[in-house]
Amino acid sequence: MNRSAKILRYVIRRLIQAIPIILAIIVLNFFLLNMAEGDAVDVLAGEAGSATPEYMAELRAKFGLDQPLPVQLLVYLKNIVSLDLGYSFRHDMPVSILIVDRFWPTLLLMVSTIILAIGFGILLGLLAATNLNTWKDAVISVFALITYATPLFWVGLMMIVVFSINLRWFPTSGMENIAAFYEGFDRFVDITHHLVLPTITLSLFYLALYTRLMRASMLEQYGQDYVVTARAKGLPERRITFGHVLRNALLPVVTMAGVQVGALIGGSVIVESVFAWPGLGMLAFESLFARDLNLLLGIFLISSVLVVVVNLIVDIIYCFLDPRIEIS
Amino acid sequence: MFKQIKYIFLFSFMLFGFSIYAQKSGGTLVYLVQPEPPSMASYISTSGPIGLVAPKIYEGLFDYDNDGQIVHVLAAGHTVSNDGKTVTFNLRKGVKWHDGKPFTSDDVAFTVMNVLKKFHPRGPNSFREVTRIDTPDSHTAIFKLRKPAPYMLRALSAYESPIVPKHHLEGTDIKSAKLGNKPVGTGPFKFVEWKKGQYVRLEKNKNYWRKGLPYIDRVVGRFVPDASTRTAAMENGEVLYAAYNAVPNIDAVRLKKREDISVTTDGYSMINPVALIEFNAKEGPFANPAIRRAISLAIDRQFMIDNIFFGYGKPATSALSTNFKPTGLYASMPNYPARGDIAAAKAELDSAGIKPDVNGVRVRAILDLIPYGEDYRRAGEYLKQVLGDIGIKLELRYEDVPTWLKRIYHNYDFVMNLNYFYQLPDPVLGVHRHYGTDQIRKGTHFVNSSRYSNPELDQLLASGAIEANAQKRTQIYKKVQEILARDMPVVNLFEMQFLTVYNTKLKGANNSALGPYSSFSEAYLD
Repeated sequence: MNRSAKILRYVIRRLIQAIPIILAIIVLNFFLLNMAEGDAVDVLAGEAGSATPEYMAELRAKFGLDQPLPVQLLVYLKNIVSLDLGYSFRHDMPVSILIVDRFWPTLLLMVSTIILAIGFGILLGLLAATNLNTWKDAVISVFALITYATPLFWVGLMMIVVFSINLRWFPTSGMENIAAFYEGFDRFVDITHHLVLPTITLSLFYLALYTRLMRASMLEQYGQDYVVTARAKGLPERRITFGHVLRNALLPVVTMAGVQVGALIGGSVIVESVFAWPGLGMLAFESLFARDLNLLLGIFLISSVLVVVVNLIVDIIYCFLDPRIEIS
Repeated sequence: MFKQIKYIFLFSFMLFGFSIYAQKSGGTLVYLVQPEPPSMASYISTSGPIGLVAPKIYEGLFDYDNDGQIVHVLAAGHTVSNDGKTVTFNLRKGVKWHDGKPFTSDDVAFTVMNVLKKFHPRGPNSFREVTRIDTPDSHTAIFKLRKPAPYMLRALSAYESPIVPKHHLEGTDIKSAKLGNKPVGTGPFKFVEWKKGQYVRLEKNKNYWRKGLPYIDRVVGRFVPDASTRTAAMENGEVLYAAYNAVPNIDAVRLKKREDISVTTDGYSMINPVALIEFNAKEGPFANPAIRRAISLAIDRQFMIDNIFFGYGKPATSALSTNFKPTGLYASMPNYPARGDIAAAKAELDSAGIKPDVNGVRVRAILDLIPYGEDYRRAGEYLKQVLGDIGIKLELRYEDVPTWLKRIYHNYDFVMNLNYFYQLPDPVLGVHRHYGTDQIRKGTHFVNSSRYSNPELDQLLASGAIEANAQKRTQIYKKVQEILARDMPVVNLFEMQFLTVYNTKLKGANNSALGPYSSFSEAYLD
């Protein structure tokens, strides 16, 4: 059997295995969320100022919240199986529309953050490891330590103070200039302009993580026997670093990145909130306080699917990075 | 009398008509809407953020100026019959909905009878005496009342009672009509687009019935979840207007020193917010009125205002706010010292036989805090400290909104709750709900959660609601305030002053008593 057919079979099998996992996640989330006091109707009525109990009962019946929990769960599962994420009564919109609307900004922020964090993390880790115990290493290590230890919201706010208020280089918040109505390329530039601060803020934390991981991983590889062999047979240091050590040192970083894609959705809540970025994290956060369970379950479902898919991609990347790893 | 008022308004309208040419037209007004509203259905929800947007789109029969006087909007004039049971509104002619259909008396009748009276949180109360609305022609609406309802004329603003298009709602489920997310009104601005998580965009209504208005071409309400970022956006000039403390007091006092930013407390008198403590008057340690009085005596209201709310507020001196002074209903009462009197509070407890134990503790209790932000947490810390001084040892509890609502208004699982209430433009609308026996309504929010019940008070409230004679009404409410100063099921702390922070480029945005809940029709950018 050739390699690509093997990979395909592997992917299909993994996807089938994922189905029961995702179902279990849904059921677990459903009961967990329902343990919270109060429901969507309470919140709506509370915000509205007041509402009669009859009116609230009517709303509950309309939302299906008057049904016993197992019935609600069955209805939800039935919808999911027919690929329907349900309806958000709070927004009076289908959940899928709400999520898709917010998915692109999230993806934009996530992808740019991952590229920036992994790219620079690998570079800095590499620099630190190859210049071990020099001033370069010290500067990079201190930088990584500080950014790792600084709370995200504070970094975000300082970015705004320095780059928006004082220097006026970037807008404070939002995804586009809502008074300008840019189209085409101008809009692209405008969104990129708005994307800079949130991306840098969110990347800093992960950048620190990858830098430290990469440095440690490189140092570990340098101590391996194959490096000694390579040196003994007279390979130049550059070849050893880039041809052998780097490739092997990347594995833990890739693993980490795979795990963290899921966390990025959650971790971006703070950055989305500080920069008013219209992403999924904020939507999830708000729907939790609004007890908009259909929407929240929908977001959780999408996130878990995302994690499954990313982990699968990571596994495939493994076998390209290290041909010794075989998928079976 | 009403005729006179009408002429005064006509005259001021004419004056205004001459002055409008001095204002500049055009531009985009970006302002903060915090938090993002759940919908735009102001006809079924009085939720604050909806109020920041919807009154730009919908209009009411009236608006009110900063002195609380009626300004005619969709009603060009009105008359009240001598017995107070017939109120006739002459509607403005030639007004069109944003979709081009004409606005008629049918819309008014449908809005009040089929929408506000049935689904609006406060509508059933505001219009409770309305039995029928006659529409002899397309621009006359005659409200027939069971009993006189003087307070009704205070509840006809675009925020409180928006007039909605019948042709969009008739025959639909009003709670989930499309109109809720895509409003169609008669107001100065048309709804264009709502980008969830980002902004809601409105555009100038070119066919607005007030010729030459509005000045501004486009209004954008932005949602920015983080308070510090909101301040930064204000500082940067990205947003020009932030109401209802969207820029928190702590930043507002800093920003107002800048030349390009101003702060006002105008525009909240119709909302009339009062910070207070609700007690469980039925069971638990605070069922005894003496201990509630002692708490009211001990609290240094001025200290709370100065140190927690940055000087914005006025110590409460009665169950009614001093904003009811112009209508003659407010009376100053004992038991609400501005500076707090620990000795008097202790004496009150001693004489009620509530003695301290060996550790000096008389009562242990949990104080629930309204989950609307840090200020209330700090207020809770202060209360814990000051009430500790008189032997009431408190623990603080801060939960999320749904949990808290359920606890206070459904489960009654609390003894003491820091909260604030809108007293609204008339006690019948905003205050009665807090004290009447008929307002002990399990599961309904922001009503009588104390479960305080006093037949004498109920009687007074009932007669206060229908009394048309101003002097008699003053007498009734004086007695109401005396009873409440004695029994104190609720201890009023202070009259809150919300802040509107705005860029001085923006002019004419604060002309209505509804302030941020009004229309921006006269606002312009300089």
